[in-house]
Amino acid sequence: MPISAAEPLLDIAGLSAGYGKIGVLHGVALSVGANEVVALLGPNGAGKTTLLRAVSGLLPWSGRVHFAGRDLAGTSPRDTVRAGLAHVIEGHRVFTQLAVIDNLLLAAYDLSRGERTARVEEVFALFPEIAAKRRERAVALSGGQQQILAVAQGLVRRPRLLMLDEPSAGLSPVLVDRVLVVVRRLREAGTAVLLVEQLIEKALALADRVYALARGSIVLEAKTGEADLPQRLEHAYLATAHRHA
Amino acid sequence: MVESIVSTGLAIGCIYALIGITYNVMFSASRVFSFTAGMLGMLGGVLGALFIARLGIPLVVGFLLVLAAGAIFGVITEIVAVRPVLKSLDQHLYVLSTLALALMVQQFTAIEWGTEARPFPRLFDIARGGFDQQFWLPMLACIVVIAGLELLYRHTLVGHAFLAIAEDTFAARALGLPERSLRMASFALAGVIGALAGFAGGEMLLAFFGNAPLLTFYGFVPVALGGMGNNRGAVVAGLLLGLFQQTANFLVGGIFASVAVFTVFIIVLLARPEGLAGASAQRRV
Amino acid sequence: MVTPAAEWNSGRADTRVVASTIGAALPFLVLLAVGLTFPLFGGGYWGVIATRACVYWVLVSGLNLVVGFAGQLAIGWVSLLTLGAYTTSVLVAGNATPALAPYLALVIAAIVGAIFGLIIGLPALRLRTFYFAITTLGFATIVTQVALAWQSVTGGGVGVPGPVFPKPFDSQWGFYYFCFGLAAICTWMTLNVAGSRFGRALTAIRDADVAAEASGIAKPPLLALVFLFSGAVAGVAGGLFASLQSYITPDAFTLDLSVLFFIAILIGGHGSILGPLLGTILLTVLPEFAAPLVAWSTFLYAVLLLVIVLAMPGGIAELLDFKNRRPLESGRAIVPRPELLPRVLGGPTDAGALTLHQVALSFGGVHAIDGLDLEIQPGQVHGLIGPNGSGKTTTLNVISGYYAQQSGTVRLNGVALRLLARHRRAHLRIARTFQTPRVVRSASVLENVMIGGTIDGEATFVESLLSLPRHRRDEAALREKAMLALATVGLERLAAGRADRLQHSELRFTEIARALMLRPAFLLLDEPAAGLSADEIGRLGALLVAIAKAGTGVLLVEHHADLIFDICHHVTVLNLGRMLAAGTPAEMRSHREVVNAYLGG
Repeated sequence: MPISAAEPLLDIAGLSAGYGKIGVLHGVALSVGANEVVALLGPNGAGKTTLLRAVSGLLPWSGRVHFAGRDLAGTSPRDTVRAGLAHVIEGHRVFTQLAVIDNLLLAAYDLSRGERTARVEEVFALFPEIAAKRRERAVALSGGQQQILAVAQGLVRRPRLLMLDEPSAGLSPVLVDRVLVVVRRLREAGTAVLLVEQLIEKALALADRVYALARGSIVLEAKTGEADLPQRLEHAYLATAHRHA
Repeated sequence: MVESIVSTGLAIGCIYALIGITYNVMFSASRVFSFTAGMLGMLGGVLGALFIARLGIPLVVGFLLVLAAGAIFGVITEIVAVRPVLKSLDQHLYVLSTLALALMVQQFTAIEWGTEARPFPRLFDIARGGFDQQFWLPMLACIVVIAGLELLYRHTLVGHAFLAIAEDTFAARALGLPERSLRMASFALAGVIGALAGFAGGEMLLAFFGNAPLLTFYGFVPVALGGMGNNRGAVVAGLLLGLFQQTANFLVGGIFASVAVFTVFIIVLLARPEGLAGASAQRRV
Repeated sequence: MVTPAAEWNSGRADTRVVASTIGAALPFLVLLAVGLTFPLFGGGYWGVIATRACVYWVLVSGLNLVVGFAGQLAIGWVSLLTLGAYTTSVLVAGNATPALAPYLALVIAAIVGAIFGLIIGLPALRLRTFYFAITTLGFATIVTQVALAWQSVTGGGVGVPGPVFPKPFDSQWGFYYFCFGLAAICTWMTLNVAGSRFGRALTAIRDADVAAEASGIAKPPLLALVFLFSGAVAGVAGGLFASLQSYITPDAFTLDLSVLFFIAILIGGHGSILGPLLGTILLTVLPEFAAPLVAWSTFLYAVLLLVIVLAMPGGIAELLDFKNRRPLESGRAIVPRPELLPRVLGGPTDAGALTLHQVALSFGGVHAIDGLDLEIQPGQVHGLIGPNGSGKTTTLNVISGYYAQQSGTVRLNGVALRLLARHRRAHLRIARTFQTPRVVRSASVLENVMIGGTIDGEATFVESLLSLPRHRRDEAALREKAMLALATVGLERLAAGRADRLQHSELRFTEIARALMLRPAFLLLDEPAAGLSADEIGRLGALLVAIAKAGTGVLLVEHHADLIFDICHHVTVLNLGRMLAAGTPAEMRSHREVVNAYLGG
């Protein structure tokens, strides 16, 4: 569905957020276009998870966040999901006591029963490995399969933008590749992706554009094709960039 | 004699188990224990007597009204005593807020209904004796609740949503589940279960405001021994408690039976703070 | 004598201190005056009410330490009132033993109260909050039922006459002064405890128990002392209560009474003596004014409790805390004074290095630390970095004694550290800070820092209770040292303010000041730079360098690459629980594997 060329799908400006008294993000600006995969990189503690949580409404924030032309100020996670913005949180946290199919049905909680089953079947078609285990409890799945299930949960509502928080964390290289194949397929299917990742090379291989976040603000924005990107990233992470400015 | 001990013990054990389940349902939804569980049991008996015996409302309607009242008081608990303190820094305020609410309702009942135990109406017009309804009504209630909860949690979307909230509230929220409504619904359900316990056990416990503290304590023992949030453990522990209490009653008399129950409870709890079935929690810095 | 505190405090600060001490004492002096002269303007009926308030306060003053200071929700404490009342009455009446003199009976009631206070209270060490509250309620019911059943001794439902104290305390006003005197003594004693290292340690256990452990505070003995004391005064209150009532039956000791005591403390506000005192007076007097609503008094107490919990958890104490309403100066900067460090740390230690050898620890199936070797030298800043999940914080927790390793050894100066109780590492002068600052929010900054010096105190609990000279010496020395520590980190101007009014960065430096009170041979810091501005990070770095120079070994777990590379002498990089590389900062920065692991690749 086309939106005006001027405004990106997700448009963030001057975003600040934190936990209680601790300010983590200071005036972040970032955008994701309708068919893009954007990677968000940065060292630990930079605020990447905080950023995703703020956008999806899990944390209070100040600043400006627009999604598909709509102002997200004060929206709850439930409403952001309804608006088409899905957030797969870090740590493949699925509901271990429920069956795989029930995990997916819950993701479609707000839909009518017919819609629910239809969407879940759609998602099963995308991920045969968990479709095979549909009746098993999620606790029986391996870490990688649980991560795929978590991503599948995010897709049940056919979001326009999917935010993934470190989908590779704690997974073996084989499973990491498996998960990232899914991300590539998403872009082909027309879903935009905002990907927070620790594995820089893999993220760069997938993404169209990349941002680097350090100490709560964006220190780098580039297209992935650019030549000196690896060095610039290293510099952004490890160097005392603020002092040399 | 043995027959009497067993039937009374099991019946009262079922009431305790149901209050334990009330605690558990509230705990699953909010990670918090509420002093209002015993109060709900008391209300089941008092309101049942009020509606059916005093106001003459027909049995089925009165019963449904009691359940509705339970649901309402459950939701009041959530709104007034639980939701406001979940956000606060001091984690233990919920003990005090739910205690305050329970006391308010208990005292109001004492003033308006009276401080004496009043009889609870006989629900079915069958002659007394043998396996009397005052024994099998609580047992029936317990079975219905267990079966109903099993059905709810295993086979309905809402039940799954309750389990999701209980397991990982944050992930449930991120997924877009309506966390607040689900919590309120859980508390309403807990209210219904508590009121049902009091209603079914009305003939045994009588309509008495003093049932509140009694059920608060004896209804918690199944939770402590069976493990937090563990409904099956609560049922087993509740039945054992009921039988133990009636046996002790018979052997050493009412007062010392309470001492016996309390002593055993404390000893078991100190030995296994997480309950006989529970796993120990891992502390994190 | 010129104290170090005077060197940087202006004369104005001294008068402020004097003024605030008088301000703090004034309410008590007023109450003392009113109480002493009460018979002059109060009638006979009000005399009974006043006496009752004094008796209740005797109990509540002790319970205040349990609930308000230690944070243990002992809702069923009325059981000790019952025990004290019956013990005294039965002994004086001679139902079970030959009749005893009332004073002796009162002393025995105190002993009985102390023993049972300990019995009811100790489960708090094992049980979580709600469970403990319920067990105290259960105990209260049991005691009442035993009183009902043990007819030969207690008279069962009929009851037993209360003791009558000999002249001059047998008249109404005589007895009033007796109770008033005891109430005044209890006020004085609990004020002394509140202003002692014991009182502060209790609040630390209540609000920041990991920080309390890290400061060397052992929970069980401290709680035991508090339960003994509180039980004893509750027993005494019981004897007085029995005398006041003239005749006691089991239904005088209702749950309502227990709740009243509890609510008095809640209304008063935790960590305060004055608040609960006013709360007790209020709750004793209130039913008299609400005469038509006497039957509703418990209902109103419960409403009051709910309102307090929801709207004003700090209680009266917070309302009366005028000095903490004044705005703090804005634009304040933290300016550490490293030159003061030698005085705080007391000269370099002769501790050798702190070494970890093949330490391993798993949680569930996850190897948090997987065979780690590490050596921290005194006098150096040692950085510990690595990606999320590499085991940095877990390593710090093992060194500080919070977790016990499953294999491998931790040695200090060549001697293996046994797997001791968590609070013992502080005695080895290993101090730490936390990822999220753990402070007592309602206490002042100075009191928070003084908590760090708890284990240096020499006065016993009884000496503090009675404000004997050694206690006063301890307090003066501790206060001076804490001011010095605060000046070292640059926060001395905020010493009197309440901790919850500070900014996040100021709380971080407060934690460092608290850690310095241990005169640490080793200081472990868990991501101290998080949430600090660039300026503040620079000052933190300079302070840490100075601390190392003064002889302390500093372990710095951090994400902030700048800070690590600026100040560390030595850096260890962890990945997946194992050492990936170690060396100087310059070496690490260009080390290929480190760069990859740190960035994640």
